Amino acid sequence: MPAVITANLPVFVVIAPLFVGFVLPTFARKMRLVENLVIFIEVLMLAGAVYLTSIILAQEGNPIIYSLGGWPAPWGIELEAGSLSAFFLLIIAGISLPIALFARGNLTEEVGNKERVARFYVLYLLLVGALAGIAVTNDLFNVFVLVEVATLSCCGLVSARNQPWAAKAAFTYLILATLGSTLVMGGIGFIYIITGHLNMGFASQELGRIWQDNPNVIWMAFSFLLVGFGVKSALFPLHVWLPDAHSTAPSPASAILSGLAIKGYMICLFKILYKIFGFTLMQEFSVHRILLLAGMVAIIAGSILALSQDELKRRLAFSTVSQVGYIFLGLGIMNVKGLSGTLFYLASHAVCKSILFLAAGAMIAASGKHNISELAGIGRKMPITMAAFTIGSLGLVGVPLFSGFVGKWYLILGSLEAKDILPIIVIIMGSVLCAAYLFPVIRIAYFEPAPAEAWQDPGLSQKIALILLAAAVVILGVLPGIFLKLAGMAAAELLVFN
Amino acid sequence: MKMLLQKLIINYPYVAAAILFAIGVLTVLTRSNLFKKLLGINIMESAIFVLFIGGSYIRGGAVPILNKNNPGTLYINPLPSALMLTGIVVSVSVTAFALALIVRLYKAYGTTNLQRIEEMRNEVKDKCQQ
Amino acid sequence: MKDFILKRIAAVILPFICIYGVYVILHGHISAGGSFAGGIIVGLSFIAFSTIYGIEEGRAKLPEKVLVWTESYGTLWYGIMGMVGIFRGAPFLANKLAGVDLGVPGTLFSGGLISLIGLGVGIRVASTMVTLFFTIMDEDCWREKRMMEESK
Repeated sequence: MPAVITANLPVFVVIAPLFVGFVLPTFARKMRLVENLVIFIEVLMLAGAVYLTSIILAQEGNPIIYSLGGWPAPWGIELEAGSLSAFFLLIIAGISLPIALFARGNLTEEVGNKERVARFYVLYLLLVGALAGIAVTNDLFNVFVLVEVATLSCCGLVSARNQPWAAKAAFTYLILATLGSTLVMGGIGFIYIITGHLNMGFASQELGRIWQDNPNVIWMAFSFLLVGFGVKSALFPLHVWLPDAHSTAPSPASAILSGLAIKGYMICLFKILYKIFGFTLMQEFSVHRILLLAGMVAIIAGSILALSQDELKRRLAFSTVSQVGYIFLGLGIMNVKGLSGTLFYLASHAVCKSILFLAAGAMIAASGKHNISELAGIGRKMPITMAAFTIGSLGLVGVPLFSGFVGKWYLILGSLEAKDILPIIVIIMGSVLCAAYLFPVIRIAYFEPAPAEAWQDPGLSQKIALILLAAAVVILGVLPGIFLKLAGMAAAELLVFN
Repeated sequence: MKMLLQKLIINYPYVAAAILFAIGVLTVLTRSNLFKKLLGINIMESAIFVLFIGGSYIRGGAVPILNKNNPGTLYINPLPSALMLTGIVVSVSVTAFALALIVRLYKAYGTTNLQRIEEMRNEVKDKCQQ
Repeated sequence: MKDFILKRIAAVILPFICIYGVYVILHGHISAGGSFAGGIIVGLSFIAFSTIYGIEEGRAKLPEKVLVWTESYGTLWYGIMGMVGIFRGAPFLANKLAGVDLGVPGTLFSGGLISLIGLGVGIRVASTMVTLFFTIMDEDCWREKRMMEESK
């Protein structure tokens, strides 16, 4: 029995949430059963991800290659579970479990009635399954299908509340995300037409041989893919859908959208840029300079836009725009230290942003107020929630002993090795601006006088979720050993191609 | 000039795909009616279908169904057609979802003009804050 | 008069449209079509029935419980067919390696698991089309009628 599970582990991690998610609407009336089933599947995914990581670490980073249907590449679809896949699967499983715990029991007020709660969980499990698929895939069309599944589930999650403004935010998100998907499909089309392969390994070999004959097509493929994935992961000028969408979604949905969904598209971009094109081609076409410039502009612009928002969830959404800039900046630094810093910062931002959105959701649900200026003194009435928010913001700013510091440190080391001083200045300025828009919230919550209202901490499973995520932030900051090693192996694996 | 025209006529699928794609993107970004944005998305996706299928056509190739009488026939690769079938399914799903959202927006706001909806929302927000 | 002609012609043609849809689903591995196109044809036959005979009759033929069940278990059928390969030691979604008997290529039973998966997917696509149609029509007129009846 364990041999069967070990041999098919990359596929089980993907299909378990997908197929269980589809069965949920048939017993929508029994809400306890639905919620417990969701948490059971999340625990299974976490176990699968940890097991896969132990196998990869034991194999010294050699990937597990799995052919669907027994057809080897290039005739069949291939899944490859290497160190990058194990890293991202750990992030997905490790964050979606606390979010599912947080959503347990308090979704009926936010969403409506019992059928709508079951459909929310269906979309949630579909999103988790699609992100797990993006982590392990090695085939271009598989990437496209999974990106579409993730996009539609995200739009469904945004429109989960019954308010009309949620419908407008979901419509804008759907139109812009589909525009991005169409651009991505165009980029994949260009790669397929000149190389004739959809498998990433074969396409990169073919591209290495023929790229000098078709420079214009490769230029177009680069631009289409960068803009397409840029729209979907909210790179600075293409971020217009993000504030509305993430602030009108219910709080577990905002947490998973900001924390995991955007990262999934960036991991896709990582894979396509480094595995198919390779870093020599990227340097030839100056793509790394474009990424560096876009990242730096995004960091500064996102932070400045976040300073002027008074609604708490909108401020956190603009903060996401700014932090996405760090990851794109890291994509442009092409050495092992820079890339491992980027991957570690991806993990750290996923955890910190989830905990910030969950704590904000708990505070808004308990007090009914949306603006920061109205949340005075809430830190003393809801101590655990506000402590979680504080730990999350310290992690995001990059204070030493928390997870953001390790990521930013390796980014700075990477850009020193690439002999570039401007990214270091922008990273430090970005941290200062991040403190400028997050610390006033903590100050207002703790040190202002509170009105005499009965605000209390949320229920037991929500508290467990917040404590788990806060512990993850602290552990990533103090003992980053295994994660950093896994990120380093993933970065080395990405830079090997071409 | 004649070379350029000749090249454009030989590669007519790519020219058609490029023109359709440009029309689609412009419609999505510049029209403020919700239905027109959805139509722009559909036109863009049709452009990509034309790109894939027109780009993998072989002149003189046969339909990819096994012909036992003539073992040396040149078949057209069936892979892009299968990929585009998946793409059409995705396009149908996106259209259905967007139509459902348009119905909900129309029932709530009474108009299908995106700028008008934003104005109505800003009026409500200003009134709430006063 | 128009209703009379439509109802009589529909009563004759719609069953054949439904059977044609099932034919397209089952012959997906031999000729053009396959699970998605065949599923849409089957769904369209039910939508035509609802349009011609009225929504109440359409709802009576396919109540919501049946639609939810076919949607969910159609997809689970796909997963189960994929797991057949895993139970016999081959990778997921394996056809020949899982020991399925592929007959003479070109006949109906030569697809192995492909036709069975196609059947599940086709039924699911048909029920999705019918659900979408009922949902969008529901928004328009049905809900007000039902609310008026419930408030009586």
